[in-house]
Amino acid sequence: MREKQFKKAMLGAGYVSAVIFCLLPFVYMLYISFIDAASLFSKQEAAFTLKNYVNVIKGENLHFLTYLKNSVVIALISSLVTVIIAGLGAYAVTRMDFKWKTAVLLGVLGVSFFPQISIAGYIFKMLAALGLLNTYTGLIFPYTAWALPLSLWILAGYFLSVPPDLDKAAKVDGAGNFQIMAYVILPVALPGIVTAFLLSFIFMFNEFLFALMFTSDEAARTVPVAIALFTGLHGQVPWGDIMAAAALTTAPIAALAAVFQKRIISGLTQGAVK
Amino acid sequence: MRNKAAAFLSRPGVAPFLFLSPLIALIGCLILIPVTGAVVNSLFRDVTFLPQKFVFFGNYISLFSDSGFTRAAVFTLFFTIVSVFTEMGLGILLALLLNEKLPGRGFLRVAVLIPWAIPVAVSGRVWELIYNFNYGFANSFLLKTGLMNSPVNWLGTEAGAFLALVLADAWKTAPFVAIIVLAGLQTIPDELYEQASIDGAGIFQKFVYITLPVISPVIIVALLFRTIDALRVFDIIFVLTGGGPGGSTASLSMFAYERFLSGDFGGGSAVSVILFLMAMSLSLIYLKAAKLSEALK
Amino acid sequence: MKLKMFILFSVLSLLFAGCAREKHDISFNVGGAPAEISVWQEVVREFTDTTGIRVKINIQPTDSDLRRQGLVLPLAAKRAEPDVFLMDIAWIGQFAASGWLAPVEISDKARAAFFRGVIETADTYDNRLIGLPVYIDGGLLYYRKDIVKKPPDSWEELVRICVENGRQGENPCFVWQGAQYEGLVCNFLEFALANGGGIIIEGNRADINTAENREALRFMAGLIHKHKVSPPDTYTSMREEESRIAFEESGALFQRNWPYAWGIYSQEGSPVKGKTGIAPLPGFKGKKGASTLGGWHIGISAFSKNKEAALRLVEHITSYDVQKRFAIKMGWNPGREDVYDDKDVLEASPHFKQLKEVFVNASARPNVPYYTRLSSVLQKHLNAALMMKTGAEEALEAAEKEINAIIREYEK
Repeated sequence: MREKQFKKAMLGAGYVSAVIFCLLPFVYMLYISFIDAASLFSKQEAAFTLKNYVNVIKGENLHFLTYLKNSVVIALISSLVTVIIAGLGAYAVTRMDFKWKTAVLLGVLGVSFFPQISIAGYIFKMLAALGLLNTYTGLIFPYTAWALPLSLWILAGYFLSVPPDLDKAAKVDGAGNFQIMAYVILPVALPGIVTAFLLSFIFMFNEFLFALMFTSDEAARTVPVAIALFTGLHGQVPWGDIMAAAALTTAPIAALAAVFQKRIISGLTQGAVK
Repeated sequence: MRNKAAAFLSRPGVAPFLFLSPLIALIGCLILIPVTGAVVNSLFRDVTFLPQKFVFFGNYISLFSDSGFTRAAVFTLFFTIVSVFTEMGLGILLALLLNEKLPGRGFLRVAVLIPWAIPVAVSGRVWELIYNFNYGFANSFLLKTGLMNSPVNWLGTEAGAFLALVLADAWKTAPFVAIIVLAGLQTIPDELYEQASIDGAGIFQKFVYITLPVISPVIIVALLFRTIDALRVFDIIFVLTGGGPGGSTASLSMFAYERFLSGDFGGGSAVSVILFLMAMSLSLIYLKAAKLSEALK
Repeated sequence: MKLKMFILFSVLSLLFAGCAREKHDISFNVGGAPAEISVWQEVVREFTDTTGIRVKINIQPTDSDLRRQGLVLPLAAKRAEPDVFLMDIAWIGQFAASGWLAPVEISDKARAAFFRGVIETADTYDNRLIGLPVYIDGGLLYYRKDIVKKPPDSWEELVRICVENGRQGENPCFVWQGAQYEGLVCNFLEFALANGGGIIIEGNRADINTAENREALRFMAGLIHKHKVSPPDTYTSMREEESRIAFEESGALFQRNWPYAWGIYSQEGSPVKGKTGIAPLPGFKGKKGASTLGGWHIGISAFSKNKEAALRLVEHITSYDVQKRFAIKMGWNPGREDVYDDKDVLEASPHFKQLKEVFVNASARPNVPYYTRLSSVLQKHLNAALMMKTGAEEALEAAEKEINAIIREYEK
């Protein structure tokens, strides 16, 4: 009994600390977005206002909503493509027999060690030659390539944890590779797949360097670049506007997370084992 | 037709190749080729305002005799170790918490993702405001609650700036670790824990003998990628300290970035190669520890 | 199947993206907050109306480093676009030496309209004109004229006034930019030049560890640690905006900043409205003060396929009318010297009279191609000295050594 009570107390304390830790800066950010930001640096009382949000959404030359749309579309497509390609690769690496397995995993890992800036110039030239600068595709390709190593490793890890007996059972029933993947592995490793998708999405949504260098206007520009466009000529930072923009940026991701958070947690499908 | 296709697919080496080809093609074109270009470039003096010439290891030699470079390398390593250690610890704790059947679980799951979801450019600025000497939240909180008598210049000392960066970085990345480890925790059926309780195991023993072994591979993946990312840390430092005070928080990525921007592509590529070698060494150490090849067989 | 979908989608988005773009003759990279962009759009629209040349404006972030990032890549890849772009005065040297700038061919008479000092030090490379100043900046002294009747005529006097008024320690007296960034070098240069020092690069040697520079740096550190007239976060967070706000809110008597703050202080709601005066920066006892030159210049890409159209845009932007409009509407300091004598301009901004004097005498930072690298070395050592982590001599010695190594590395 004592152990149970102790555990409950620990969990309660843990829950509260975790929420405070994770949300404190975020709440602060929301707070700033709803006040007149000049009062941050003066002794004035902070007044509630929606002006910042209006500035961001309606701001001419800001095209903020367009940037948001670009971000969401590009990140969605890239993450989907990433997860599909990584899934195929992870299946091959964990379920098939060939000599260069480890080489693939390590090679894919190895090339991801380089900082983005060092390859940006080359990718820029490639995209320019293909006429893909300032287009959705021009960002989708590099984003997918950049997110593949992590996704491959995550998915390989989860696929490994799916017991091979399931495979064998399916093979006995006459299933080919694709079917095993779709009907056996997928449902069981779903938490892993959703995790990989979510992490990729967030990475692409917040990616800055490539977005800045490969786009030149709202045709394909994304939100992180938009946020950098708020500052004035001498470093004037409209804190209220930026925080409002940030809040608007976090909204889709929070929504996505809210939708998927159950999926991250879903346990083993007991039925499959039986 | 179908039989012919099936026969072709079951030839050894074909199926794996098909499954892996999109991956290899994308990474090959968009990463491997540029990386090779960068490596080759590092052997040249490639400065935009000077004639190009082959210098073999010249760039590397001048890097190692550059005190700014060695300082950045030491800082980066130190930052990586401390930051990764912190975020792994926090992340695992968060994952364990999320794994429990708590009321308000859904809310916690979304809350945990928020730090990772906010763009660094923004969260960096928020932390800047929090650490601000005059108007920052940290100082006004400490002063109001009487924990301190005078405001602290958080970013004014090397140690202070370092810790401030670690905190801001760990805050952002612990969720990443948490959700990776969490999905791994999810594969452990409750019955195992119940059985262990019946057998008389305490919380700690359950963790060590049931949880740890299952999530070890997942922890290694998180550790690996977090280390690689920490070695390349750039955004948070750019926004929060700009490499200061006194140049004490400049990372290797920032160093490379400055080189590239000032037109020294050869030097920047050389720094990137060194980063690569550092990351590779660390990865090999992890992988040896995890005995990955065993798992794959 | 999935592969097919992927290909289909890529083709579609390619086509779609292609349709969205309008045709244009030249493209122009510009940065700034949304309000500033509107003015640029207006100027460009006029240009298109009068000449029929269609211009596409590419909006870039304001931050100098981010703008450079957006320019270095296309220029290094020898792309034709952007045709026209704005450059920070600090990196014109790098762009010019890399062969990225086409000569700006205007008549000598047209040339004479601009600040001679600026044109000769910043916009000339290899005896050719490769840029024109659109907007210039120079360091100024702001002071509370309601408390300090006459601006100090030396730095020593400034400290004395601060001590007399009891503003030391908790109550900052003099705010300036000491964080580790380019602004620190600008501030340092002003103190150093005001002491007879400066950054001297002759042939293959840089001379930084001079007695005058050491004194100046020691003085700067002393403002924070010895006299305590400058706040402790001067070397961690004081950049333009932070010091601008500190002058308004903390009761400081003096500030070193660029002219832009004047416009903000003149607006309703500013705590120091009507109480601020500006003056040239003082020198050290018996010596003349100095002001570092800042600003943005316009250039034409060497790889542009439409250089004539580009030149006409440059001429339009640096024309008297447009520059006058920048001055009156945006409160920007034009690069053309003749605009400063304009009746309407002086009516809207009477302080332009003083500004003109400051700009005529302003000093540029070394216009070497590797300036940005030089600057980052200098920044970190200067900042370390301000932190009191190293002494002034140690810091300047180390900076000089590293900079000389850079010069050697970049020998042809």
